[in-house]
Amino acid sequence: MGEVLQVVIVYMLILGSIYLLIALGFSIICGVLRIFHLGYAYLFTLTVYLTWMFMKELGLGLVPSILGMIGLQFLISYFIYAGIIKRYLEREEIILTGLLLFSIIVEQLVNYKYPIQAGVYLNTTILEGSLEIGPAVISKQLLLASGIAVLLTFLFVLFFLKTKIGLAIRAISQDIYSSRIVGINVEALYTFTMFLVLVPVIVGTLLVAPVWAIDPTMGSMYLTTAILVSILGGLGNIKGTIMASYLIGVTHSIVSFIIGEPRFMNLSALILVMIILMVRPQGMAKSEALW
Amino acid sequence: MVDVEFRRDRIIIRYKGKKWDWILEPRYWRNTFIWTAVLIIVPIIFYFFYPALLNTLISANLYAAIAIPLALMTLGTGRINFGPNFFIGVGGYTAALLSVAYKWGPLLTFPLAILLTVVSALIFSPLVIIARGLYYVLLTLLLPLVFLEITFIYSDTFKGDVGLAGIKLLVDTGDVKLNFLLIAYISLFLMLLYLLIVNKTIKSRYGLIMAAINDDEEVAHGIGVNINLVKIISFVSAAAMIGVIGWFYAHYFGTFAGITYLPLTFLVKILLVIFIGGRAQVFGCVAGGYFIAFLEMILIGTLGDIQPFIFPLILFILLFALPEGLFGLYRKRRYREYLPTLHVRR
Repeated sequence: MGEVLQVVIVYMLILGSIYLLIALGFSIICGVLRIFHLGYAYLFTLTVYLTWMFMKELGLGLVPSILGMIGLQFLISYFIYAGIIKRYLEREEIILTGLLLFSIIVEQLVNYKYPIQAGVYLNTTILEGSLEIGPAVISKQLLLASGIAVLLTFLFVLFFLKTKIGLAIRAISQDIYSSRIVGINVEALYTFTMFLVLVPVIVGTLLVAPVWAIDPTMGSMYLTTAILVSILGGLGNIKGTIMASYLIGVTHSIVSFIIGEPRFMNLSALILVMIILMVRPQGMAKSEALW
Repeated sequence: MVDVEFRRDRIIIRYKGKKWDWILEPRYWRNTFIWTAVLIIVPIIFYFFYPALLNTLISANLYAAIAIPLALMTLGTGRINFGPNFFIGVGGYTAALLSVAYKWGPLLTFPLAILLTVVSALIFSPLVIIARGLYYVLLTLLLPLVFLEITFIYSDTFKGDVGLAGIKLLVDTGDVKLNFLLIAYISLFLMLLYLLIVNKTIKSRYGLIMAAINDDEEVAHGIGVNINLVKIISFVSAAAMIGVIGWFYAHYFGTFAGITYLPLTFLVKILLVIFIGGRAQVFGCVAGGYFIAFLEMILIGTLGDIQPFIFPLILFILLFALPEGLFGLYRKRRYREYLPTLHVRR
């Protein structure tokens, strides 16, 4: 039992950190723009497939391809913000459906161009092999990904707490009208936030790409995780997101290693979310502000 | 002697001191009757001249028949359910499993499909009370996705990847063309029945209470409305109606696969029936259902491989190009009607 417990704890930390990386961007958009980015799934898909496209179609190396992908991702994010979110901020059902549709368009386009048989693979492995931590055997790449996730989250928190821009973004997340009164350029910061969320998504996807499955529908799986974490943590609250990521991490670990049914991971997380929502309808965080 | 007088906006018929007006100006038409007549005649025409299109007609009727109760659910709960296909899955799988296991026909599976949909709706009905606007959207969005996962986990039972086959057919006359015609009429009947029920409900006193909840829950509570009860009744009854469509799909095709109805692509189609049809107006759902079914069929026939992404692309453009939907174009002429605005609450 002691050994199983060790495995659960190790995987809780690793899965929780990676879930944090996946959900951080989604949560920040929820907290700042006060919308659910249901098109969030396409960010993961594009990260992998745009890089692959640059490598295969233009014959570029991995690093230039990643840079090209980042440039295109920024451009697409800008158009998504300016074309959909900014124009329909008060009509949420249109935003939600529009973003979902956009995500489906990207998924289908990718599936048309690079179906699963195309064998897309990104060799973004930094550390090869696996490591034994007590009874648990962990891929070094996943270990690195979880370490970077914690570091990146720490940097994000520092950014929001210690910089003027971070302060302004937190002000927007608390009260948009008051923020405008004190002279904060809300539009510019919205755009900036759209760009900011790309960082954890791109870093996370590139780090886990060599270890986890890649296919045109991969974004839906990440979106599901991001949604669960975001609801559980409380809309857009980073503290809540951190707590929720590890809570879902421990749930998945327990289901996988103690109950022995890894197939029930998402179902168990959903049940957990529902139970917690019954007790705390606003999620685990105390407020819906960013911090 | 019959006297027929043609005016700019109407035709007047006089006979022995009696007078009948036939208004030509669209805003005064009795559109419901005219369009119902058209919908009844069209399957017969297709049967003789374009039998291949009967399938599209059935799809159109079923899309509308899902969207109509969804509009009712949206109105009565004051929230937009982003997972109506979950109930299609429940109804469909109930019918499919019973039919495959016990060789039950559609009449036997029907009550159990409704019963299980109602039970599942009751289990998840606390969501309409505990989950606020956006939380509700996301939780309902997850329901069909998790269900889909379950169909893959228990692949031995649900055949998640290929679907359950060997379900008894809804109609089996031995003539395929005639089968399609009869199914087209059954689907049309179902859709019109839903339209009638939902339209009457919305225009009743109960509909007014639902509209009050949709506009402002706190105010509705303040004037003495038992909002929790109304929300749960709206949720469960609409879910049962959607579950019936799942039952219909199972017995119509003789196969049922969660992968067809539970993913986001099917959900988005239903949401767009509502939005492109006319922002959850019940009559708009019919226009939306027919528009989307025929657009999809035309694109499949003409575009081939690129259809899967061109179809959502066109819908994406239409979503923004028609902010009030197809029915909104008509509603501009009937602005006096009160129709509650549906929205996602923050």
